Amino acid sequence: MAPLSLYGVSNSLVSTLLLHLAAVLPAPLSTLLSNGDLILLLSVLVFCGTLLGASLLNTILLIWFERKMLGRFMDRRGAMHVGYAGLLQNFADGLKLFRKHTFRPQDADPLGFFSAPTAYMVASIVMFGILPVSTGWSAGTLPLSLLLALVVFSFAPLFIFLGAWSSANKYSLIGGMRSAAQMIAYEVPILLAVVAVVLLSGSFDLTTIVNEQRNYWFWGPLFLALIVFVAGMLAEMERIPFDLPEAEAELVEGWNTEFGGMLFAFFMLADYARALVGSYLIVLLFLGGWTLPSWVPAPLTNFPLAGIFWFQVKTYLVFGVFIWIRASLPRVRTDQLLRVGWMRMIPLSLLSIVLAALVVLAKCLPVFGCLPSMGS
Amino acid sequence: MWINMGPQHPMTHGLWNLRVKIDGELVLDVDPEMGYLHRGIEKISEDRHYNEIITLMDRTCYVAGMAWEHLFIQAAEHALHIQVPERAQWIRTMSEEFQRVASHLMWYAAFVQDIGLMSPFLYGMRDRDLVLDLFQSYTGGRLTYEYMRVGGVRNDLPPGFTDQARKVCDWLSDRFVEYDRLCLGSDIFHRRCDNLGVLKASECIRYGITGPMLRSAGVARDLRKDRPYAAYGQVDFEVAVADGADVTGRYLVRMEELRQSLRILRQTLDWLDRNAGPVMAENVPRWMGAPYAPVGREGYLLKREYPKGVGFSAIEEPHGEALAYVVNEGGEHPYRVKLKSPVFVNIAAARQYLVGYRVADIPPIMGSVDVCVGEVDR
Repeated sequence: MAPLSLYGVSNSLVSTLLLHLAAVLPAPLSTLLSNGDLILLLSVLVFCGTLLGASLLNTILLIWFERKMLGRFMDRRGAMHVGYAGLLQNFADGLKLFRKHTFRPQDADPLGFFSAPTAYMVASIVMFGILPVSTGWSAGTLPLSLLLALVVFSFAPLFIFLGAWSSANKYSLIGGMRSAAQMIAYEVPILLAVVAVVLLSGSFDLTTIVNEQRNYWFWGPLFLALIVFVAGMLAEMERIPFDLPEAEAELVEGWNTEFGGMLFAFFMLADYARALVGSYLIVLLFLGGWTLPSWVPAPLTNFPLAGIFWFQVKTYLVFGVFIWIRASLPRVRTDQLLRVGWMRMIPLSLLSIVLAALVVLAKCLPVFGCLPSMGS
Repeated sequence: MWINMGPQHPMTHGLWNLRVKIDGELVLDVDPEMGYLHRGIEKISEDRHYNEIITLMDRTCYVAGMAWEHLFIQAAEHALHIQVPERAQWIRTMSEEFQRVASHLMWYAAFVQDIGLMSPFLYGMRDRDLVLDLFQSYTGGRLTYEYMRVGGVRNDLPPGFTDQARKVCDWLSDRFVEYDRLCLGSDIFHRRCDNLGVLKASECIRYGITGPMLRSAGVARDLRKDRPYAAYGQVDFEVAVADGADVTGRYLVRMEELRQSLRILRQTLDWLDRNAGPVMAENVPRWMGAPYAPVGREGYLLKREYPKGVGFSAIEEPHGEALAYVVNEGGEHPYRVKLKSPVFVNIAAARQYLVGYRVADIPPIMGSVDVCVGEVDR
């Protein structure tokens, strides 16, 4: 049996549907419908729609997960009333925001004000198309998918700053400046930490990186890089302790102070999409992606959709740690954050590159022949 | 660039405006503006009967109503020459200490929120609720109590109250360990709060700053010790002092005060268990408690006359030293009521402890001042 793939399913679905339609419909239409290009186009559309829907649903589930977890940490129950255990609460909230009037302050620049949330949303959601969540679930294998993912991921500060600047509010401006400074400061250590992963796996392709972790996950040899990457991701996601750009104590809501209604919903959803994507990246790069260690008994690994199931379990565990951090740490100050970024994280990530290089070297030595050889 | 932190801003914890001049993240100048919540409580008091002013006192500081009731009632009793029975004094002491615990828990919740800690905010509010439940059980109110009366207190404690109160004390003393672990155990907390908002003892005294802010600078000044009132002279406790004069110092002082309050509370509860007695003075003038003057035989309103006098009281409120001055010119209303709020003084010196720090430092510093705008504006 061929491995289940999302594109394969949507392709066979579309072609079967079109073939049945062509059999019923009269001649000119039936030839049009059995055209190969049309089938390709429609299956791509179905594939993208399914991926988008599933990803957004997962994002909303993530928000629910955070609300419930935070509730438990705070000795309360979280959302309880809409749906079972509050599962539908976020949909209700989204509906409320959707019905709200979209308000623009008088002095705000309309172009920047309205395009920033949209661009931010798009830049966050595109990530779901780039990251493979399991074998057969990605749009395709790109040789440089890791690089592309990081490039798209680092677009966000630009749009945040655009939105902050164009909303003509002093708090937004300060928040936007903080956000830009913070994300640039943390981009560098993240990239350096990723270089260590690339060294060890020998590839920029996320699927290859995951496959390279068949025998051992990278968090062992690259523990320093994992720490740097997690801290950098916390800063990129703007979560406590690094949520200074929207530090509500001093900046009201930071860069999204002036955004209300659906524009706010865009920012909110995109924020959580970025949180999900960040957790995906950690799982992909350090925690073996959708693979499990070989000592795990077979019934746990070879049921249908096992890969995506374990991938999501790991993702939620990683995000659970983020929630735990959020529930128990205070916020740091901007200068402290930047100092940690430039003066602690970069040396640490450089050190982790050296460590990765040593591991790669060690594998060439005959003494360590027990370590599995590199792919290819 | 000047920015307005307030009148509606998460930092203010009330309704006031802190104008801040910033250069990037650096605070160059600040200008506190108060008065958004002015209700003219002192003026309204001149047109009310003594027991009717108590409701206003509850609303003077909405997180420390009992302390302000106590403050005013003491001054009024001084002006009216009324002696209070001993049990009422002890109940007042207990009420004020419970109020201090509730107020400090509220402060803890707001303060940790200011430095970005989310969970302890809810822990503080949760534990404060237990104290409010106790208040509800013997006064009927959770925030504004109207419990104290000129000459005593409105009613005695319900049966079984002291056992409940002891349980709450035990629960709270366990929780305080947890609170400290969440704040002092965190490296980020020390990075944020150490050497922040420093105001040395000499400056505190120069600006008339009192309460935990003064004690955090190493000055052991506490009216409960230095000028004992109610039953404070008979209980055993220590004045909480820290020497940092910074935000961490104020945190330490307030947490130690919470522990000392529990110590005082256990002693007062023991005393109340052992000693029964009246809770209202017997020589209180007739119709003292009536909202309206009685109608005489001919249908005229009887004018209530009280002996002339001037009353003064000073108590250690949760935020600092509060003073009250009541002048009785012989009518049925006080001629003049003057209140002095500690928080007003503490805010007014904002320039001394805010300038030179960063924008992100303003919420922790102002949080450590423990602002209650109700008593600032009165």
